[in-house]
Amino acid sequence: MALDFSFTEEQEFFRQTVRDAVNRLIMPRVKELDEKEEFPWDLWKEFAGLGYLGLRHQETYGGMETDTITQMIFYEELARGSCGFAMSAIMQILMGTYFIARFGNEEIKQRILVPAIKGEKIGTICFTEDQSGSDLGGTRTLATKVDGGWRINGRKQWITNGPIAEFTTVMATVDPKLGLKGLNFFLVEKKTADRDGFVTGQRLHKLGSRCSVTGELVYDNVFIPDENFLGEEIGKGVQYAGEILNEVRVMTGMNALAISKEAMEDARQYANNRVAFGNPISKYQLIREKFAKFWAWYEASRTLLYKCAWMIQSNIPCTNECMLAKYHATEMCMYAVEEGMRIYGGNAFCSEYPVQRFWRDAKFLLYGGGTHEVLCDYLGRIYCKD
Amino acid sequence: MEIYVLVKQVPDPEAIIKVKSDLELEIENKYFTSFFDEIAVEAGLKLKEKFGGKVTVLTLDNRRVDALRRGISMGADEAVQIADPAFEGSDQFAVARTLAAYLKDKPFDLILTGRQAMDDDAGIVGPGVAECLGIPHVHSIISLEVDVQGREAKVTREVENGKEILTCPLPALFTCQKGLNSPRIPQVMNVMKAMKAQIKKVDLASLGLGPADVGSQALRVKVQKYLPPPKRPPVKMIKEDFPENVKTLVKLLREEAKVI
Repeated sequence: MALDFSFTEEQEFFRQTVRDAVNRLIMPRVKELDEKEEFPWDLWKEFAGLGYLGLRHQETYGGMETDTITQMIFYEELARGSCGFAMSAIMQILMGTYFIARFGNEEIKQRILVPAIKGEKIGTICFTEDQSGSDLGGTRTLATKVDGGWRINGRKQWITNGPIAEFTTVMATVDPKLGLKGLNFFLVEKKTADRDGFVTGQRLHKLGSRCSVTGELVYDNVFIPDENFLGEEIGKGVQYAGEILNEVRVMTGMNALAISKEAMEDARQYANNRVAFGNPISKYQLIREKFAKFWAWYEASRTLLYKCAWMIQSNIPCTNECMLAKYHATEMCMYAVEEGMRIYGGNAFCSEYPVQRFWRDAKFLLYGGGTHEVLCDYLGRIYCKD
Repeated sequence: MEIYVLVKQVPDPEAIIKVKSDLELEIENKYFTSFFDEIAVEAGLKLKEKFGGKVTVLTLDNRRVDALRRGISMGADEAVQIADPAFEGSDQFAVARTLAAYLKDKPFDLILTGRQAMDDDAGIVGPGVAECLGIPHVHSIISLEVDVQGREAKVTREVENGKEILTCPLPALFTCQKGLNSPRIPQVMNVMKAMKAQIKKVDLASLGLGPADVGSQALRVKVQKYLPPPKRPPVKMIKEDFPENVKTLVKLLREEAKVI
């Protein structure tokens, strides 16, 4: 009787509570958030006030120290509303603050982590450059050791929350020739009149997840003090990144679950009401097959994702499982949004119906945590014991 | 102020409900707190914030405590579940009798609850509890002011073409209507507290009631038959050209749909 797939009554209660908050705060504004393509500061303040930004941080700094399964329930429910808003919030909760909480000294935690948990300072993590993303070894942003600190030089692209960020965790190399072994994380804050720091570059206009602002950040010979080196040892950045990569992949899968479910629930209602040739189109076998396939793949994805959440929580090594789960969930989501578009027929092609937004938002999930080409190449190699 | 709020967990509007047999419903396992009860919790919390005191949420349910956890996550201080196998099949009068039996020895200033539960829409339990306790009751209030010193409450309720303002001595029971307030969204800290909260459990015997007072033996309202809503009729296409199609549409709306 060791195998148990049920959520506890408390977890179900937590899910219901988050669902209610999303229904009341985000759902009524989803269309507006997508169309405006601006960061919704008012929603951010209201949401931050509920305390969810501290979900995985220590109570000492205003966090809640929840377990991994609870966090994943939260990510799944949050993404039901607006994928863009979920991206911004999750960046703050997970990637944008993890290394500061892990390696920052007390002064840094009080100055940055505490206001970040309150939503007063927005942060982000910076991996991607023009020639590197999934290929972290290609990172060119350079960290040079100087007296009392470091000089950071480089440009980071595709940075979620970048245009509004006040602090960043930047991946930089101490020597590009070292590849993955030269990588490290540094805390770099935004440039002000009395502090050196990064400046914002071009903002990107995206296909989907549009209320999460994304852009380029420029590090032009920025001086940072020694304490802004986030790590215990130089050259261990990739190892440190690995500490949250499993969570990031499962979180991305949870977002895929949410979007696919919303898309197919929406398509189901449409198919039950849209009449063609005298019947609702859900009466036709080719339409029903789409729902049957989705249902099967959705259930498989959900089971694998929560298994991974359980493995992370139980400290069971699960790198490959998390890659598989992210890959499967996101591909399942691609199927759901594509078939949702087909169920809607020509109506899918206008902005009156939400199905096109699900389709656009879902594409954003293909890249974070490794493109599927990179993941599949790696997984195939592992499977073939190459 | 000592405030009790009577809450009920009801099927989520998204839950699938099927008529299993004439006397049995099959309800998907998705529940939430009845919306009007959340308004009652919010009203209780607002009074506590103003005057101090304690808010206790109370439910009668053998299986679920979702509404109690919701109450705690919103800020209630204590939660009590009344549960006993003998309650199976109870009607609203038995529920009211039981809740009143629990409350009769408690020192309270105010009892609040929703104007009706969102599943059966009966609206009986609130007034029933007030009757059993012999305290005043006002139904469907949309404003509430309390004079703690004068032991009096001033409430407003909507009546046809207007509003009615009433005063009422305390202790009293009020059922709450939409418009009284907007229930708060719980902070995650309180949600965590609610997830871990120990819920006090009370059984039938400790209330001085016997099996004949509740359950199927005490039924005063009996369900005769559940009926599913009628299926959506097939779409009727009007194939005539203008202006005949308009005439036909008006005729159908008047004679078949009977909406004009």
